[in-house]
Amino acid sequence: RLYGLLSILRKLKSAPDREVRILLLGLDNGGKTTLLKQLASEDISHITPTQGFNIKSVQSQGFKLNVWDIGGQRKIRPYWRNYFENTDVLIYVIDSADRKRFEETGQELAELLDEEKLSGVPVLIFANKQDLLTAAPASEIAEGLNLHTIRDRMWQIQSCSALTGEGVQDGMTWVCKNITAKKKQ
Amino acid sequence: MLHAFRNVKKTHFLPYIIASPVSCRKRTLLCLKSHIVRIVSVNSKMNVDPKDFMLTGLKNETVGRLPGKLNGQQFVIQDCENCNIYVFDHSATITIDDCVNCRIMLGPVKGSVFFRDCKDIKCVVACQQFRTRDCKKMDVFLCCATQPIIESSTGMKFGCYQYYYPDLAFHFKDAGLSIFNNNWSNIHDFTPVSGETNWSLLPEDSVVLEYMPLPDPESEFKSVRISTEANRSIVPLTKGGRRTESDESCLFVFFAGDYTTANARKLIDETTTKGFVLIQTKEVSMRPEDVNRVFQNNAESLTEWITKGPVVALELNGDGVVEACRSIANEVFNGTKLFVSESKNTSSRDVDNFFNFADMQMGL
Repeated sequence: RLYGLLSILRKLKSAPDREVRILLLGLDNGGKTTLLKQLASEDISHITPTQGFNIKSVQSQGFKLNVWDIGGQRKIRPYWRNYFENTDVLIYVIDSADRKRFEETGQELAELLDEEKLSGVPVLIFANKQDLLTAAPASEIAEGLNLHTIRDRMWQIQSCSALTGEGVQDGMTWVCKNITAKKKQ
Repeated sequence: MLHAFRNVKKTHFLPYIIASPVSCRKRTLLCLKSHIVRIVSVNSKMNVDPKDFMLTGLKNETVGRLPGKLNGQQFVIQDCENCNIYVFDHSATITIDDCVNCRIMLGPVKGSVFFRDCKDIKCVVACQQFRTRDCKKMDVFLCCATQPIIESSTGMKFGCYQYYYPDLAFHFKDAGLSIFNNNWSNIHDFTPVSGETNWSLLPEDSVVLEYMPLPDPESEFKSVRISTEANRSIVPLTKGGRRTESDESCLFVFFAGDYTTANARKLIDETTTKGFVLIQTKEVSMRPEDVNRVFQNNAESLTEWITKGPVVALELNGDGVVEACRSIANEVFNGTKLFVSESKNTSSRDVDNFFNFADMQMGL
């Protein structure tokens, strides 16, 4: 796959550091693990709700890419902070078709962007589940989340369907561009 | 210009747009369109009214959807009270919010079923993922492909899925769900409370009809020929985590072929008639390297058989079950590609080897 983990790794070879850390957060049922499996070109038809975390690591020519997918249930969100350190890019996944929880996800994202250990870390927001009927478009989500008020870091919102893969490549292209940008700072 | 864009109806809205990067100051319609990287071919949801896929604010009613009405789309149920809800079709995902005193039958769901802030619910659900949050007093007859989870929920009771309607088997296939992959009895609780349990199993002899009644004969659902009888259930009834009376188990595996499902059902009939108990089933793909580890003996012929497709494995339990299974294999399934435990000395190991392998395969 064009956006697979190995291809991301190849694109990162210009990064001065040898280890890149991507953190995947968002509410439970958002599609984080589906996204992780999609990136790893694995079967996505049978995925269990994440109880702790999942990690995918790829290595290539001395470079290592780690993607951390952390469970998003309300009860275990306090543990997210255990994974903040040394994050190069934050990917925040939103279920675009779960309108009932837009406020909750906006709240969690806002708190993340206030975290000192994540200060300056570029954030890609995936407006996921665009394949579903009630999915709100990325523009509506961007507006609802007041993304335009983010001034302290690079950010991007990207429509996608982790299930079909649509939009994932575009998001990961932005991720690659912004990891190398950050590491060059 | 941005304002005008916002008012465009969903049917004209191009599905995928990358929002303007922070640095882009232009806000004209033309500029926004130039950010569209890829125009995706018309999505199946484009000419459809979202309201047809929602049940909102209903009270004291019999409602739902007949076969063919959802056709794999997302479905949303919210703010219903004292309703009997029947969804006789397969769907992508279903959320159920703020419902009270409802009886809900959900046809096979390809993704997740998520109950939030619900109370006094009796339901029959088949899905890939089952989730609850802030729910109270639910009785669930469940077929779930993965481990069900609950959070901040109490009084949750679970039993094995038991339902039939004519299109149900097709709906399982459409939803990509196997009737043999059912983790209904081992629930993960994200908010356990010491000294209490938030979930338990329903009584084994529970009568589904007493929880999920048949639809009102005056309703639009009168044409759907439902059965809640155990022997007609599309999903085989498994004992799951319930305690068994015997220590003797047997592993029976059917390799992929044209009649695998029918054969599995036949075996279940033959064994349950003789008083044996079906503990668990699994439908899973195997690779050549798994064969040795799982079957230990007779690996050579099996290595070829597993390449044809997923296997269906069953664990049966009862005194004398191994002998009974071996004789059924000879008499009823002569010529069928299968594996049966050799003796009751080796059968526990067979069962453990297989189902541990299957669990690992199907977790991440």
